[in-house]
Amino acid sequence: MTVVSNADFASRVLGLAQNAPPFRPTAHYDPDGDCIEFLAAPDPFYGERVDDLLTVYYSQESRQIIGSLIKGVRGLLKRHPGLNIEIQDGRVRLVHLLRASFWNKDQPQPVEVRTYRKLIEVAEAANVETELAAV
Amino acid sequence: MSGGTRREYILLSAVDPNSGSPCQVQISFERMQAVARRSMGHAMECAYIVPAVLQRPTAVFEGLRLEEDEDRRGVGWRCYCGVPEFAYRADGSKLSPWPGQVFVVFVNDDRIAYNWRWEQADDDEPALPIDYEDRFRRRLL
Repeated sequence: MTVVSNADFASRVLGLAQNAPPFRPTAHYDPDGDCIEFLAAPDPFYGERVDDLLTVYYSQESRQIIGSLIKGVRGLLKRHPGLNIEIQDGRVRLVHLLRASFWNKDQPQPVEVRTYRKLIEVAEAANVETELAAV
Repeated sequence: MSGGTRREYILLSAVDPNSGSPCQVQISFERMQAVARRSMGHAMECAYIVPAVLQRPTAVFEGLRLEEDEDRRGVGWRCYCGVPEFAYRADGSKLSPWPGQVFVVFVNDDRIAYNWRWEQADDDEPALPIDYEDRFRRRLL
């Protein structure tokens, strides 16, 4: 494998974008980071860490929650074996993982409760599933 | 780290924070594709900002902290930080960097850049992410 130039890299990425279908909400498990990234809108965003396992994404334009990053997915599944009942054909609805991530907290602060609740609402509205076969 | 799934990677040039010499970082084709499908703005961030931050970071931290990190996987993981020349709207048009924010690129111990985003900057160190003192084990650069 050889190093690609910056120009070649940019050309490849932008080529993928030009042929992309219209945006739809997505949640992807990334085995390289052992994390699930959820995005409900195509806006540019910034991330704010809620805790060590959850980062929430806010739209740079509307300042509303539009996504999240759940880290430590393997550990989450290990700590909550009951989640297996929600996994069908290797796929699980994101809201189940968000609830499990929240249940993991001992003494959630009010601001964390509000943030998780809002994020779960956004995920429910987006009705996204993620593939866990690579976990 | 591939989880049993064969993934294709592209090698990008980066700076080694320990030596200051060039090194290589990988990005999975799957990740590039997922990001490019979101919007032209997300594609522009991946195409231009990610390489710039990997090659000219303002700081690199090592050791991402996780409360319940049983196998201590986060120990060798790195966070490259930078303030890029531009930010991008969803349609791909340029604007000045988002005020009070820095761009961070996370690299695992296999030297794979697996995530990147804008974050709020620290109040006292505007080129570093907020809470950097608590989030990372040490600063390499």
